Amino acid sequence: MTIPAYQIHPDDMVAYMLREAPRGATVATPNRTLLARADIPVFHKIALHDIAAGDTVWRGGWPIGHATRNIPAGAHVHTHNLASAYSKTRKIT
Amino acid sequence: MTHTEAFFGYPRSCGRSGIRNHLLVLNCTGLTDAAARRVAAALPGTVFAGTMYGMGMVGEDAAFHTAALTGMATHPNCGAVLLIGADRTRLDQMIAACQAADRPFAALGLDDTGHDAYLLSQRAISRGAQLLRDLSAMRPEPCPISDLFLAMECGLSDPSSGLAANPLLGQVADWLVDAGGTVVLGESIEWLGTEDALARRAGSPEIGARLKRAVADRLALADAAGLDLLGTNPNAANIKAGLSTIEEKASGAVLKAGSRPIQSVLAYAAPPETTGLHLMDAPSYSPESLTGFVASGAQMVLFTTGLGNSYCSAIAPTLKVTANAGTAQKLPCQIDFDASGAFTGRSLAQLTIDLVAQVTATASGQRTFGEIMGEGAESISRFGAAI
Repeated sequence: MTIPAYQIHPDDMVAYMLREAPRGATVATPNRTLLARADIPVFHKIALHDIAAGDTVWRGGWPIGHATRNIPAGAHVHTHNLASAYSKTRKIT
Repeated sequence: MTHTEAFFGYPRSCGRSGIRNHLLVLNCTGLTDAAARRVAAALPGTVFAGTMYGMGMVGEDAAFHTAALTGMATHPNCGAVLLIGADRTRLDQMIAACQAADRPFAALGLDDTGHDAYLLSQRAISRGAQLLRDLSAMRPEPCPISDLFLAMECGLSDPSSGLAANPLLGQVADWLVDAGGTVVLGESIEWLGTEDALARRAGSPEIGARLKRAVADRLALADAAGLDLLGTNPNAANIKAGLSTIEEKASGAVLKAGSRPIQSVLAYAAPPETTGLHLMDAPSYSPESLTGFVASGAQMVLFTTGLGNSYCSAIAPTLKVTANAGTAQKLPCQIDFDASGAFTGRSLAQLTIDLVAQVTATASGQRTFGEIMGEGAESISRFGAAI
């Protein structure tokens, strides 16, 4: 079963799950399919590319923070691996 | 007349027309809160608002508070006002405001009843009954869409807010600005990360500088309090729903402002001097935020939510919009407009047509769930300590 994800901009590095994706599920955006590397709840983000620690993550033409560790394509992207540029506790690990 | 050119409202002799014809029971001093609530409860169909504070406020705190009370006393949705207060000083200020706006009112003070709050309530109920009777004789008339002043808010957002519901509000904002109406967006901390883009839309470099300074000041406030925005904004519920950073939340939130030029950055509760799109430098917590908009004259609030948020303004009908299908299903008596079709192939253009139709229907008298369920309050923000 393919689970749809919503992508705003062609250059986006993440897409938003339109339904919950269990680990191993096939996830499809209009441009690509990939495998979910973790259980990803509905409306949470999935990485569309490999993202290196320290890289700025872009969505919809805006930076939404930076990776605090290497994030492989298909991973759940959230507070465990994405930090705000305004967060005082930000760390690259 | 089509529904996108006019609505049925209540023309006022001063300023914009109203979309409701409330009798507002306005409690002007904290001392009279219980008495004023007693009056409102005795007069079905009235709207209650006011303040829990009074003497001792100073500086900009006192000025914002006076501006907010004045804005509510002269609000277009209030056909008449019952002013209740302890001392003549505050009452006289509000009486002058009502007179300047040519708004029917009655004013009752504890000073005039020998500090007998029960006698105050009795007299106020009697005066209020007369005002309600006068208001009930008025009928809505066609008013131009350009009379509308909409406030845009989001509360308990999830990613669906920034992906679909807020862009939809942005389309409605553009529609109203193009029709000659007025729009306001607040929650300054949620401009964070988008200030440069917003400043490029400002009508002058000074307006751009002011909006950037507003964001910097809010950020400095969080820093000075030793707060990390993570956990505060986004808050725990936003994070659980999938929002990871303030930049992610903010870049979705500002889409409510649409794409038209920014005419000014308003102080809290300040009325805009022109039509078009305005920003208000204000706190983001919905009760204080909405009252800031209402006091500046907004007749209706468009309020997006991801997870659900029952809060509404008492004075301005508050239309709840979600793009989260689960939330729309779970909250059938809260969500006024389900925008979740955005994720199943419905175009933004079609959703905009539908929401504009609902906005004009609401302006013409269709009640929001918040009005039907009796949600609604006003809460004037405080900006400092009192003496």
